[in-house]
Amino acid sequence: MSSGELGLAMAAFMLAPVVGGLLTGIDRKLSARMQGRIGPPILQPFYDFFKLWGKDTLVTTRENLIWAWGYLLLTMVAVFMFFFQQDLLIIFFVLAFAGACLIFGAFSVRAPYSHLGAHREILQMLAYEPILLLAAVAVFLKTGTFMITGVFEFGEPLLPYLPLTFVAILIALGIKMRKSPFDISACEHAHQEIVRGVYTEYSGRHLALITLTHWFEIVLILGFITLFWAQPLWIGLLIALGVFVLELIIDNISARLKWSWMLGVSWVVGIGFIIANMVLIYCAGGFIRV
Amino acid sequence: MGLIMGVETLIAVLVIMPFAAALLTLVVKDARIIKPLVIASISVLMVASVLLLIRVLESGPIAFSPGNLWDILILVLDFVLLAYFLYIGFTSRHPLILTLAGAQAVMLPVLKFYILPSTAKVDPVLYIDLLSVIMALVISIIGGLIIIYALDYMRDHEAHLKLDKTRQHIFFFFMIAFLGAMNGLVFANSLLWLFFFWEVTTLCSFHLIRHDLNAEAIRNALRALWMNLLGGAALVLGMILLWQASETLAIQQLMGLGTVGAALLLPIALFCFTGFTKAAQVPFQSWLLGAMVAPTPVSALLHSSTMVKAGVYLVLRLAPAYEGTQLSVAIAIFGAFVFMVTSVVAISQNNAKRVLAYSTVSNLGLIICCAGINSDLAIAAAIALIVFHAVSKAVLFLVVGSIEQRIESRDIEDMEGLVAKLPLLSGMAILGMVTMLFVPFGVLFGKWASIQAAAVPFSAWFPLVVGLLAIGSATTMVYWTKWIGRMISVVSFNRDAKVEPKSFLSYTTILLMVAGAVVLSVFVAPLVNILITPAESTMGYAKAFETAGWHLRSDWGLFTPWPLFIAITLALLLPALLIRVRGDQYREPYLCGANDPSGVGPTFHSIADQGVAVRTGGAYWEALFGERGLTNWINGAALLLLVVLFVGVFV
Amino acid sequence: MGLINKSRVKSPWIVHYCCGGCNGCDIELLACLTPLYDVERFGILNIGNPKHADILVVTGPVNHRNARVLRTLYDQMPNPKAVMAVGTCASSGGVFHNCYNVLGGIDKVVPVDVYIPGCAVRPEAIIDGVVLALDKLNLKKSTKVG
Repeated sequence: MSSGELGLAMAAFMLAPVVGGLLTGIDRKLSARMQGRIGPPILQPFYDFFKLWGKDTLVTTRENLIWAWGYLLLTMVAVFMFFFQQDLLIIFFVLAFAGACLIFGAFSVRAPYSHLGAHREILQMLAYEPILLLAAVAVFLKTGTFMITGVFEFGEPLLPYLPLTFVAILIALGIKMRKSPFDISACEHAHQEIVRGVYTEYSGRHLALITLTHWFEIVLILGFITLFWAQPLWIGLLIALGVFVLELIIDNISARLKWSWMLGVSWVVGIGFIIANMVLIYCAGGFIRV
Repeated sequence: MGLIMGVETLIAVLVIMPFAAALLTLVVKDARIIKPLVIASISVLMVASVLLLIRVLESGPIAFSPGNLWDILILVLDFVLLAYFLYIGFTSRHPLILTLAGAQAVMLPVLKFYILPSTAKVDPVLYIDLLSVIMALVISIIGGLIIIYALDYMRDHEAHLKLDKTRQHIFFFFMIAFLGAMNGLVFANSLLWLFFFWEVTTLCSFHLIRHDLNAEAIRNALRALWMNLLGGAALVLGMILLWQASETLAIQQLMGLGTVGAALLLPIALFCFTGFTKAAQVPFQSWLLGAMVAPTPVSALLHSSTMVKAGVYLVLRLAPAYEGTQLSVAIAIFGAFVFMVTSVVAISQNNAKRVLAYSTVSNLGLIICCAGINSDLAIAAAIALIVFHAVSKAVLFLVVGSIEQRIESRDIEDMEGLVAKLPLLSGMAILGMVTMLFVPFGVLFGKWASIQAAAVPFSAWFPLVVGLLAIGSATTMVYWTKWIGRMISVVSFNRDAKVEPKSFLSYTTILLMVAGAVVLSVFVAPLVNILITPAESTMGYAKAFETAGWHLRSDWGLFTPWPLFIAITLALLLPALLIRVRGDQYREPYLCGANDPSGVGPTFHSIADQGVAVRTGGAYWEALFGERGLTNWINGAALLLLVVLFVGVFV
Repeated sequence: MGLINKSRVKSPWIVHYCCGGCNGCDIELLACLTPLYDVERFGILNIGNPKHADILVVTGPVNHRNARVLRTLYDQMPNPKAVMAVGTCASSGGVFHNCYNVLGGIDKVVPVDVYIPGCAVRPEAIIDGVVLALDKLNLKKSTKVG
């Protein structure tokens, strides 16, 4: 990478939480409009964040707080590696470690709602993890490398070759964004039967940290979607934005469903689509030969 | 001359000395003598394995043939063993054991006296390349540490069982003899020798499983015996077919033959089948699950780190021989399938040792899958996984053994909040699981490499293999995460400040191995450079990784262990060190406001002002992932895959 | 702290607890969330968890049984926080004030910042009350040291 690209990557990394927060703001505004409401200002997530940052922290166990920091910092490592165009598989492994930190945080206090959320979060991971790994493999089949640099060197958009993989990633995106029908472990809007699931025992500054982490995660997954049209990049960005809005529409027209249903959809449809996509590529002979 | 002498002595120390030490423990019986004796012989064994490594690194693979007398001795002992198995089958009225041991007792003389000409000689009898040495290091160092751990463990174990007469000498006899047999097995180039050591490991496994002599132990030992004898029978049959096809019984010569035609592939497929039985691959997983009744050091030594590795070793050793065939593809699919299904079933288990057993079968399946993928990268991944899995899994078994002795349960549900009660043991357990589970530790390095290797279209079936690997990775994550979650679930208000009863030897050995797992993971690049790449190249594979700057760059990806280590350590350690909590910040967990402050730990304020303590439990989702629903299906599917594997040989 | 104070005013999250009135006020409270009143445009969220909330909104009179629950919920909220008594019952006990089991208004148990009269209260009044509570919230300091 040249120094210009390095600077760009660093800037992107710095901007990631801002973009993530703005996207969440747009999300709340658009959702409100779809429900016939006026909705909060676009900057609302930032108000929420700073308010939480300024509040006292109540503690159930100290470990609970440590894992929240681990969740944030490890997600940041994954996002950092993404913008520095590292190995996709490793990025997803680090992201999985980060996700596990959130689960461990919820487990580290003997509290019913938090444990319930943690178990559901595990199921969510079980649902999206294979999709992400296989999507990386599908990208690899075309570019011949797991490095993100390869996507840019490939010279063509990936989407025409990987349409089914793209659909499968939408499922993973929905789960990661905690949107209906996949808002199983902790919903953006509380007031449901598991209180706020994995988030229940956090308060104040540490809840702010988790919000921040969520912004990073959204940027990472949308960034991954952008890679499907990296030549030119702005089309990819538009696609990612479009997918984001599509996810909001799905969120607003669907109800939360059972975890077994989520698992079924993500394994049968998600994994099935990606594998079908791989078979198509293999049959077309358009993969990198070794 | 001096060099050869040295080699001869080293091999004698690694193979024969353990048998001698084992006999000595059997004779002296006295625990006060057994302890120093075991420690001394293990230390010698460890040193010898390291010396062997140095020798092989300096002057290449060692080919060595002991005198003819040894061949005869091995043959005689073969028949003694088979006679003993027949005797067991007869006394326990077990028709399967009788049949299988009988079949071997018929086939072996047929092979030896009828098929083989009297002049037939395998040369060299022993061939020690780096792959053998890596196995020997795992066997001697990890196996040795496990046996040292067992010294304290067995004392407590017998105290707990309240035995009148100690049976420790029998236990250590088989444990130590087993090390010699394993070393012999990985050094053997002659299939006849390999067969002998193979049967010795079967014998050790049988006796160690039934060590406690209760009904369940005896039943499970018999099951393990017949399943392993099935593998042994396949091995003898394979030898007969192999000789008829190629007039050789030397493993190394198999590589040179090129794999044309079913006549050669069939014996190789049979050998792989033998490996599958030893590695407890589905549908033979039931013997390994049953073997968990044995004292925990047995599970650690035989049933996770070493003996079951003999199965994958054989499959891996033969990989160059079946490279590029449909058999190879079938093995890859079979391994990936086992990796996936056993990790799915592991989710439903709340018995800690069964989780470990399923996880072992699962990881062995992954290694077999790598051998089947059969590319430079896949073979490197397989070797790395053998090493890293052995260390981490040994840690986990030993920790579970020690935990069980302290809480008198191996149920994961009973381990809730164990970090507060047994901080050191639980810490080591969690670290052990983390090394199995997360980047940048070695097992994950292996998984990363194997997913990459499976992603390269090595056959038209690659989407299936890589799909199974991806699902298996996710399910693996589930059962470890849940388990860690149970252990760290604590109550902040009431920390049990009980003193953890530590015992020096067992804690030290576990600590050493945890440290080993971490250090090996940090130094994975030099490990690849010094051991794995050369081991691969002696097997005829090309270099899979560039290791400039101690990063691992494969043809298709980049793994950066030490920057990740720094990042992840900081991400978890800094908060752990810096976060301060004032006493007035503590609040009870949210219980809809119905907290009863008078309770110990979180308590619901319930009917008639009664306090009801909050109880949380782990989810096992038995309806979906349970053994009851899945076992028959996966056994059937695995049998089908095996049939396809054998039929594929002829296509 | 300017930014945080400003954010605090713009993001009051409420947790709603019904001490057991006639549910009239609860319905009005929920009406605030509907498109007609849409309190989310002021950043108000009904968060359903005291550990995440800034304002405790209580309806109904407090009695011997639920006083403890009310107190626990209040204790489980991080500072700075405010309490709103919504409706006549929550403010003074209302029609229940002489019942043998009723303590009276919720100020018998937790310190109340805003009283909103009405039986039942109108949603506009609730929104008004939240704005009042925000002013008081802004005066409160976090108990955090440094």
